[in-house]
Amino acid sequence: MLYELQKLKKQFGQRTVLDISALSFAARKVYALIGPNGAGKTTLLNHLGFLDQPTSGIVKFHNKSISYDHGHLVHLRRRVVLVDQTPILFSGTVWKNVEFGLRVRGVPRKERAIKISAALERVGMSDFAQTDSHGLSGGEVKRVALARALVLEPEVLLCDEPTANVDQQNQEVILKILEHANSMQNTSIIFSTHYLSQSRRLAHQTVLLQNGSVSFEENENTFDVVIREERAGWRRISLAAAENVSLGEVESFRLEEGPARIYLNPGKIILSAPEAARHSQTACQTGIVQRISIENNAVRLVVDMGVALHVVMSISRYRDQPPLVGQHVGVEIPEKAVVVASNHVP
Amino acid sequence: MFLDSLKSAFLLLISFDHELFEIVGVSLNVSFFSTLAAAIFGLPLGFVVAFHRFRGKRFTLTCLNTLLALPTVVIGLVVYSVISRRGVLGPLELLYTQKAIIIGQVILIIPLITTLTIAAVSKIDDRYRNTALTLGANRRQMAWVIFREARYGVVAAIIAAFGRVIAEVGISMMLGGNAKGFTRTMTTAMALEYDKGEFVLAVALGIVLMAFAFAINLVFHVFQGRIKSDAV
Repeated sequence: MLYELQKLKKQFGQRTVLDISALSFAARKVYALIGPNGAGKTTLLNHLGFLDQPTSGIVKFHNKSISYDHGHLVHLRRRVVLVDQTPILFSGTVWKNVEFGLRVRGVPRKERAIKISAALERVGMSDFAQTDSHGLSGGEVKRVALARALVLEPEVLLCDEPTANVDQQNQEVILKILEHANSMQNTSIIFSTHYLSQSRRLAHQTVLLQNGSVSFEENENTFDVVIREERAGWRRISLAAAENVSLGEVESFRLEEGPARIYLNPGKIILSAPEAARHSQTACQTGIVQRISIENNAVRLVVDMGVALHVVMSISRYRDQPPLVGQHVGVEIPEKAVVVASNHVP
Repeated sequence: MFLDSLKSAFLLLISFDHELFEIVGVSLNVSFFSTLAAAIFGLPLGFVVAFHRFRGKRFTLTCLNTLLALPTVVIGLVVYSVISRRGVLGPLELLYTQKAIIIGQVILIIPLITTLTIAAVSKIDDRYRNTALTLGANRRQMAWVIFREARYGVVAAIIAAFGRVIAEVGISMMLGGNAKGFTRTMTTAMALEYDKGEFVLAVALGIVLMAFAFAINLVFHVFQGRIKSDAV
């Protein structure tokens, strides 16, 4: 395991900001930390970046417990880089900023120049190499901060809300940089975000944080399940407590087999007529509509499938094909609706 | 009287008066080395106090702030008692030398440089520290980053300290003795001229002192402008 956290607690005075009984992160994967403000995402990232010391508990990196003496920490920090939510650039040019980490590692000048050029090109900031760092926009600062981190080719890249306060164009650039780092350089990435869409797009796994703890509460559409591959490219999702209750089959290579806690996005689940479900190749499950309500210009349905499954659809879509209370419906769960919250099932 | 003094100051400067330049030379020499020595002690001390959380930090700050108000006469008396013939350092025969003035002035401005460095470093955003650390810097490299970001404040502390010692008269008079050609500084010369009733010359020397102070600040200003465009 890349990281293992055991009984990790961080307190500021009387206030507990992090209280995690067990959490682990595998190498070469992308993890998203989601949760409301104050959930402990930044504090957790600081601990993973060895910038903060827990009040109690154990942090293991590659199965070795961390000792918090300065020499050891410098060695560890040279393998893990954290990009802040609002990164700060040192005085000087963009080039000098990206060069900093290489200089402190004693990388020779020629090698530095090659790496810096490549890093700046990757984030689309080559033209800004000699620009004063304090004259950049918010999105540009984030891109330079990413280049400054990626030039070091870290084993782990930690990003605190990488797309916060950034325009749509820069958001897309940043997400592509992260995707590239993971897929091409096998960099393990752990990032915090408020956007489920980003966690679905980038993350192999999502960790839900609430009040400093990994959330294992029974939230809407959150289930402890077992994922099994029944045929090539298809995963069957069954309830962990009752494996005979299936939530359906999902076409996916991404979902890992084994126990997991998943969140099913109610807006992405597809309902169909039960006849269509029977003829469907996706072998979707059927359920009975129990409740229908209107909220925020959308229709919310609760479908009994052995468990209560919440589904949200637009009013126009509901008008086209209105399931009624008590009616059987086909339930199709596409891969994009599945967010793996954790591979730890209590 | 001011116009007469201004005229005298101008005449003194353009006549390349040997005695004047000797006095200015002593002043600059003493002020330079006292500022240098105080910076060597005061800057690291300011860094350490600003950086670290330790028991009694608040008390230390209060003591340093109190020392800012230390009268030059008190420093003069204390140093005199140490370096006079009967003092602990009497055998070194430091009294009435430029070294004696430097010792006194260093004691005078160490608290000034330290407190201004603390203020400058404390203002630096914490993110600089964490950014340097996460990019792999060790403590020394991280301190250098903070120093670079705080450099305007640090240079301002040195300028203020230099200004304090070049305009100081109590220590120079008590420990230097105002010996012509050896320990006579601009301020002690002004005091002497005043005692003699030569007000015009005293004020002229004051104008010369201000002119030099302005020139030195100008040099610092250019230096600050240069380091602004420097790299990390």
